[in-house]
Amino acid sequence: MTIIKTWFGEIELHNGQIVRSNVLQTDAVAIALQLQREEFTDLDKRCRSRLREMAIQLGLVTSEHDYISLLRAVAIQRAKEQIIAAFSRPDARIVQLIGGIDDIDESINLLSERLLEWDVLEFNISSSGDVTETDASQSTIYPTLKHEFVESIERLSEVRKKIAGTIELEMRDVAPNLCSLAGELLGARLIAQAGSLESLARMPASKIQVMGATKALFKHLQYGAKPPKHGIIYQHPLIRGSPLGKRGKIARTMAAKLAIAARIDFYSKKVHPELLAQMEKRIREINNPAIRDKT
Amino acid sequence: MKIKTHKVPGVFLLDSHLATKGEALYGEKVFGEYRLWNPQRSKLAALLKKGEDVPLRPDQIVLYLGAASGTTVSHLANIVSLVYAVEFAPRVARDLVRLSERVKNVVPLVADARRPDYGHIVELVDFLYQDIAQPKQAEIAITNAEMFLRTGGYACIMIKARSIDVTAKPKAVYKGEVKKLGELLDIMYVHELEPFYKAHAAVVARLA
Ligand SMILES: C[S@@+](CC[C@H](N)C(=O)[O-])C[C@H]1O[C@@H](n2cnc3c(N)ncnc32)[C@H](O)[C@@H]1O
Repeated sequence: MTIIKTWFGEIELHNGQIVRSNVLQTDAVAIALQLQREEFTDLDKRCRSRLREMAIQLGLVTSEHDYISLLRAVAIQRAKEQIIAAFSRPDARIVQLIGGIDDIDESINLLSERLLEWDVLEFNISSSGDVTETDASQSTIYPTLKHEFVESIERLSEVRKKIAGTIELEMRDVAPNLCSLAGELLGARLIAQAGSLESLARMPASKIQVMGATKALFKHLQYGAKPPKHGIIYQHPLIRGSPLGKRGKIARTMAAKLAIAARIDFYSKKVHPELLAQMEKRIREINNPAIRDKT
Repeated sequence: MKIKTHKVPGVFLLDSHLATKGEALYGEKVFGEYRLWNPQRSKLAALLKKGEDVPLRPDQIVLYLGAASGTTVSHLANIVSLVYAVEFAPRVARDLVRLSERVKNVVPLVADARRPDYGHIVELVDFLYQDIAQPKQAEIAITNAEMFLRTGGYACIMIKARSIDVTAKPKAVYKGEVKKLGELLDIMYVHELEPFYKAHAAVVARLA
């Protein structure tokens, strides 16, 4: 049994026979988008020689001629996207991807709330205050619809994961030092909030420290939680894991290092591993002043 | 004007000018249904002009590495059934894509031939054509032949000596590259492209 990934979908072969497949739509734009996200896998030569035949057998296309015109349309679409991406600034892509994550989070929250209300309808609250499930015949919600609703929420979370993965990859190229200090996603959020890597690089540390300290931003990030009064960098595990009284001081130290990292990333991209070590050491000292005396 | 056929089906000689049949695509001269193919602008044309028999046939699928804006690709598309055209520089790839929109049997791929990530797109091919100015030309050809060339298929590799070693004599460079290619492919012939191209040679080979 082998599973092969082709440009038109996944195929499972057993003794050379197709036993299962997950063929994409015949829409060139949709396939091109899918290709952009998929990991590349190699095919063996036997499978490679059968691509046309398999696409026809699976009903994706009806002739070799159609196979080539669909493949060509997909390739042209994909090439155009790659060319546009190559010409656009990578940090602009990161800003857009972060925006996408925020939109998805907001949608998921909205949909989840609705789901909760649907669920409430399915329970009776008896006079004694016990919660009991109504019997199926009385259920107010259409089960299939509800199922689809749940699925669309799950689908959104999957897309969110993919976007986050893409951000991580792009960030390691665009801002390696910021990644090492802040992590890919927090680093991306800083760039997004500043608007570009360039404007982040030009910011004073004091501004980086409070950047994003607005209720509106955190609505997306920590839905349901009390809106924090602090900037984005308060999401950093080294700040969240520190005693409340020390966080302000740590945030100041961190913002100073992040400002340096952003500048290096913007001007040279050379990786400076010592930045992280310095920042961690400084934070340890703040958290535990005794260490400082010993060393 | 006298029209003769070349050894390679689909290639013609109008008096002494090389041509293929098709629509004009990049401002080349046209005579009726023939498009002139300038050997100064295409290494494949140079090789054909020198009278070589290149094992290209009308039903072949070709993988073309280093397509640039598609000058040679556009003529090759007149000769064979399908061309997968790989180019990694975005600026020239833009022209290649424009060309592919007009030529129905060209599939453009923006990719690096050194690390082929078109493995789930390109079929098994009958002919591998490579024209890339890179230091590791033989290695790139071998990687791609191992992945995409069918047994019994052919390869034509245009070697630019200066990209591999500026200081060495071109002949010595060809010899080194041919030796590397020989580890996978059976070499049919090596032909220099003078006077059209200085310090360039074509290696034509077969995958046994
Ligand atoms: C000499 S030009 C090709 C001219 C073209 N074959 C013609 O005759 O019209 C070489 C091309 O190879 C491309 N190239 C170089 N290295 C490459 C690689 N690793 N992968 C894909 N293309 C590459 C270059 O961008 C350039 O456009």
